[in-house]
Amino acid sequence: MSRVRDLQKNLFGGTTSNARQFGMIFTLVAIVLYFQIRTGGLTLTSGNLIALTQQYAYISILSIGMLMVIVAGHIDLSVGSVAAFTGIVVAKAVTEHDVPWPAGILLGLAVGALIGAWQGFWVAYIGVPAFIVTLAGMLLFRGGNQYIGNADTVPVPEGFRVIGAGYLPEVGPATGYNNLTLLLGLLLCAAVIWREWRSRRVRQQMEGAEPAPAWISVLRLTILLSVIVFATLRFAGGRVGTSFPVSGIILAVLVIAYSFYTRNTAGGRHIYAVGGNARAAELSGVRLRRVNFLVMTNMGLLSALAGMIFVARSAASGPQDGLTWELDAIAAVFIGGAAVSGGLGTVSGSIVGGLVVAVLNNGLQLIGTGSDMVQIIRGLFLLGAVALDVYNKKQGRFSIIGSLTRPFHREPPAPPGAPATPSRADAKAAAAG
Amino acid sequence: MGNALLEMRAITKEFPGVRALSDVSLVVAAGEIHAICGENGAGKSTLMKVLSGVHPYGTYDGDIFYQGRECRFGDIRASEHAGIVIIHQELALVPGMSITENIFLGNEPRRWGRIDWKAANHRALELMSLVGLKEDPDTLVKDIGVGKQQLVEIAKAFAKDVKLLILDEPTAALNETDSRHLLDLLRGFKQRGITSIMISHKLNEVEAIADAITILRDGRTIETITVASGEVDEDRIVRGMVGRDLESRFPEHVPRIGEVFFEVRDWTVRHPISADRLVCKNSAFTVRRGEIVGFAGLMGAGRTELAMSIFGRSYGVHLDGKIFKDGREVEIRSVADAIAHGLAYVSEDRKAIGLNLLDDVKTSVVAAKLSKITRRGVLDEAAQYHEAESYRKSLRIKTPTVDEPVTRLSGGNQQKVVLAKWMFTDPDLLILDEPTRGIDVGAKYEIYGIIQRLADEGRGVIVISSEMPELIGLCDRIYTVFEGAITGEVARRDADPELLMKQMTSSRRLPTP
Amino acid sequence: MLIVGFTAALVASGCNSEREGEGGTAGTPAKGFAADALIGVALPSKTSENWVLAGDLFTNGLKAAGFQSDVQYAGASTTVADQQAQIVAMVTKGAKVIVIGATDAAQLSTQVAQAKQAGTVVIAYDRLITNTKDVDYYIAFDNFKVGQLQGQALLDGMKAKKPTGPWTIELFSGSPDDNNSGVFFNGAMDVLKPAIDKGDVVVGSGQTDVKQTATQGWKAENAQSRMDALLTSTYSSKTLDGVLSPNDTLARAIITSVKGAGKPIPVVTGQDSEVESVKSIVAGEQYSTINKDTRKLVAETIKMVKTLQTGAAPEVNDTKSYDNGVKVVPAYLLAPVIVTKDNAATAYADDPKLAPLTK
Repeated sequence: MSRVRDLQKNLFGGTTSNARQFGMIFTLVAIVLYFQIRTGGLTLTSGNLIALTQQYAYISILSIGMLMVIVAGHIDLSVGSVAAFTGIVVAKAVTEHDVPWPAGILLGLAVGALIGAWQGFWVAYIGVPAFIVTLAGMLLFRGGNQYIGNADTVPVPEGFRVIGAGYLPEVGPATGYNNLTLLLGLLLCAAVIWREWRSRRVRQQMEGAEPAPAWISVLRLTILLSVIVFATLRFAGGRVGTSFPVSGIILAVLVIAYSFYTRNTAGGRHIYAVGGNARAAELSGVRLRRVNFLVMTNMGLLSALAGMIFVARSAASGPQDGLTWELDAIAAVFIGGAAVSGGLGTVSGSIVGGLVVAVLNNGLQLIGTGSDMVQIIRGLFLLGAVALDVYNKKQGRFSIIGSLTRPFHREPPAPPGAPATPSRADAKAAAAG
Repeated sequence: MGNALLEMRAITKEFPGVRALSDVSLVVAAGEIHAICGENGAGKSTLMKVLSGVHPYGTYDGDIFYQGRECRFGDIRASEHAGIVIIHQELALVPGMSITENIFLGNEPRRWGRIDWKAANHRALELMSLVGLKEDPDTLVKDIGVGKQQLVEIAKAFAKDVKLLILDEPTAALNETDSRHLLDLLRGFKQRGITSIMISHKLNEVEAIADAITILRDGRTIETITVASGEVDEDRIVRGMVGRDLESRFPEHVPRIGEVFFEVRDWTVRHPISADRLVCKNSAFTVRRGEIVGFAGLMGAGRTELAMSIFGRSYGVHLDGKIFKDGREVEIRSVADAIAHGLAYVSEDRKAIGLNLLDDVKTSVVAAKLSKITRRGVLDEAAQYHEAESYRKSLRIKTPTVDEPVTRLSGGNQQKVVLAKWMFTDPDLLILDEPTRGIDVGAKYEIYGIIQRLADEGRGVIVISSEMPELIGLCDRIYTVFEGAITGEVARRDADPELLMKQMTSSRRLPTP
Repeated sequence: MLIVGFTAALVASGCNSEREGEGGTAGTPAKGFAADALIGVALPSKTSENWVLAGDLFTNGLKAAGFQSDVQYAGASTTVADQQAQIVAMVTKGAKVIVIGATDAAQLSTQVAQAKQAGTVVIAYDRLITNTKDVDYYIAFDNFKVGQLQGQALLDGMKAKKPTGPWTIELFSGSPDDNNSGVFFNGAMDVLKPAIDKGDVVVGSGQTDVKQTATQGWKAENAQSRMDALLTSTYSSKTLDGVLSPNDTLARAIITSVKGAGKPIPVVTGQDSEVESVKSIVAGEQYSTINKDTRKLVAETIKMVKTLQTGAAPEVNDTKSYDNGVKVVPAYLLAPVIVTKDNAATAYADDPKLAPLTK
């Protein structure tokens, strides 16, 4: 009994976590398993996992920026158009004006940041709602894409394609795997172990806060490490010449960096403060305008990156690039537990949200479902996932998605004698049983 | 009187992790005014929500008998149908609609399926005269004062054919005149046979008006006192609410006042929207180290505006004026500047602008000075936890852990979190705007203690308050404000309500005694 | 210890690696495959009847030939990304041949390369996939010929209505992201240019460049709004004798626009033999269409797949015209037929859906 309670309380964090609150991870696992069986094992093949990563890297990159925009209480409808605009500018520069491709990427990032700053200026300093500014931006930059590109499809050189379709090189002894991918997996394992150890140590420093039982840590590490080892072997064991994709590495670096920024720095916390209560944040010394400006600028930057990765993967910039990307990114963020009114949400939640949609999409395509049905199912899924989360919040439970996306959330125990915790856990155990 | 209109028996209500009510009983006789007293978090509002069907039948244990029959309300409509109407502390009016539209919102008189506005206006006028509201029924609600808005709420209740009227802190936001009017109104209703339940912190009002008083503490009924029996006195109520005797409303304190260190001269501020209005007129004042300075004034006198405009120009359009700190003039252009110069402003409206209600206790405490827990650009979560923990202990914030969301805390404890948030910035001057509004007696006493401690540490404290006894009991010196101008300065030993009231209501500057 | 554990796990699951076997076949053409192998068909979004018909024909035809089939359409708004994902999914499922009707012919090279590396044969259907060396065959109607027929029909139609010139016309072309658009247009201009140069035919608005005449996304509303604009700007007093329209959907949009403006209907060409347009031709509104019998094209494609299954080289009839920017793709071209009111009955005699309309 007490072990069950410990497990519920500590495996993914949150005092009020219970079986239902692992919903999103369970959904993901369930969807993966379902399609793994339905497709006769195709879902988890190396080739499919690599393709999946490449197909959704750019949407996930957008959803990182979109998360911050939504947390700050705004929305950005222009990301697809900005991505398409940057894509055509870079493609033209690289192909027709002989700009070397690395410089082309820098140019793209600069263009994206500039567009973001332009939109940020209107939102932060003039006070036009972001919905309007970015609706205008959506038209503006879609038109810009067509104006510059003449609605043509402009190819990009081989070197540029690395960021969207590239792989790590094959180096070292022939192990039957891509050695660099193995190395990455090993590093990730080490990082996970270090983090668990550190979080236990930090908690020990807090007076009165006991760390979770050691066996919980071991269990959690076992689960995480087996997932990582499995994924590593799959990614490393694809066709010769393939590995964990370069776009996946870019995404991973961004996820780690932005998770850290939003959770562990003053700047990140200011974004949550502004979204939670702008006036209170202002009266606490947060520079409202600067936060809004930076969030929008950052979105422009990431849109540009996503656009370039898509162009690289498609080997060309086309007039249909970026259509409805904003909706995919927004859906990922909301499935990942962000609040429409701002102030809530996590980067990792959005990535999990995006991943669930990606696996769903991919699985449906593997079993040959038409794109019409795929859209219907995705629509229902979005509605269902967010409705469930809202329902759970209303019931006074902590958000399913919110809780599991803070896997290392520290939870000091309730002081002895507080009647709350035992009775709650009992009630929950009863409900679960 | 005599026979019970309402009887709630052994009501128990649990929320996940909290038992809000255990075994609470309440008997309200027909035609009486029944007061419910208790500290914040004692369960008063929960009890009323159970009664009005906000928490529907089945989510609580116990029985409700109303007009002699057992009632099982599934929602608010069901209880309203039975004539039970609740008026919440936060008014449920639509600001952009007219008085008539608000009175009949959700209850529109219809004719052939269309809203009959003629009948509605006619009936609205009747209801308005019933509650003593003299306004054009087409006036928008946002254009009338809080006191009148309260009357609109009551008129709205009458539109629903109310038999049992429940008022949750009806006078909390009202000035004395409006409060008195409201209490008179309740007496009038009693004459008409309408039963009222009133939740209030203001013991003098309770004493003046209630026929019976039920005291709740920690989700339990402590006692019900009948006023007619003559056993009522404030001390007894307070003892029941707090669970101990309160020797005095204010802790003992011997001030240690130092030099003048903060001075404002010729402070003039213009209203942000109507440009020809001056909300502060050539205001000048000083604060000494270790001194608690009061600002007395009626609502709308410009006290809050004065404070906020000084606090990093967060209100209005600054026209003129200088701020001196430790003898040197300082430029304070933004809130960040103000914090850097050691100023702190605790707002009167902690929910709207004082706290981020999505935050938990620990993140709220450190929110105004993240740099203090940042090491090499990274927030130190252990340090954040330690800081929050130490404030939880020293201010006795009632919360199981500092990870608790602030919304789960009672008003008094939220206020302590806001105080902690500003104490964390280590300010030289704290401006506290209505620091005890909506807070119960016990918590008030503690907050007074905290304020005195802050002063004793050599800081200056400004207390803005509408409650005269609070100012007189707490402050070493009191400025009076009237229509944006400082009209007087009274030392503690000379302060009496009458003198202050005179200065608060006249622009003639009286000679300083 | 970590490294030891990691290596142990590595060895334990070593047999899962996909590296063995597949590496060897990468890049080499398939030497025949199982008779019930999976054949993937990736088509654009369902914006035209033709693609819907083609999808049905592929599903049934491949089944009849004993193959397993996976026929996919791209979504309506996210066409390119959808099609990319669909092609990769087909490769993952082990399709031996993938037939692609490209949405954007230049943005599929990464996916086609993946297919190639997995040993899959790629057939470009109707639209040539560009910028890649990995497309194996191209099968389509002769689109330059289609353009020539349209141009000729336009001239014939106008001559029949008004024996002597000069005739005033407007030009429409297809979506700029479809490389067939240019081929149609150039074919038509091959016929019309001499007449324009002689002065027999006048382009009223002067818009003769392919960029000016383009119809983004082959969308009817784009053609209609351009026609509306032209009528207002150029034809408030002038009469319009003919319009070159690259396909039926656009032809009907143009006719709708002209009718809306209350003008007499000019000679309008078309292509694809869509039901509504055949009705329109029989009713005397639209002048002509092209019968590119989808049945024939699909049948030829399936024949090609069957040949590939046996390991033989499929038949091609053009090995020099279709340069996709990287290589010349061997092509099998079918001949289109022009259809007007006069020959509709004979042209559609074999078509169960269209034949009754011509009676």
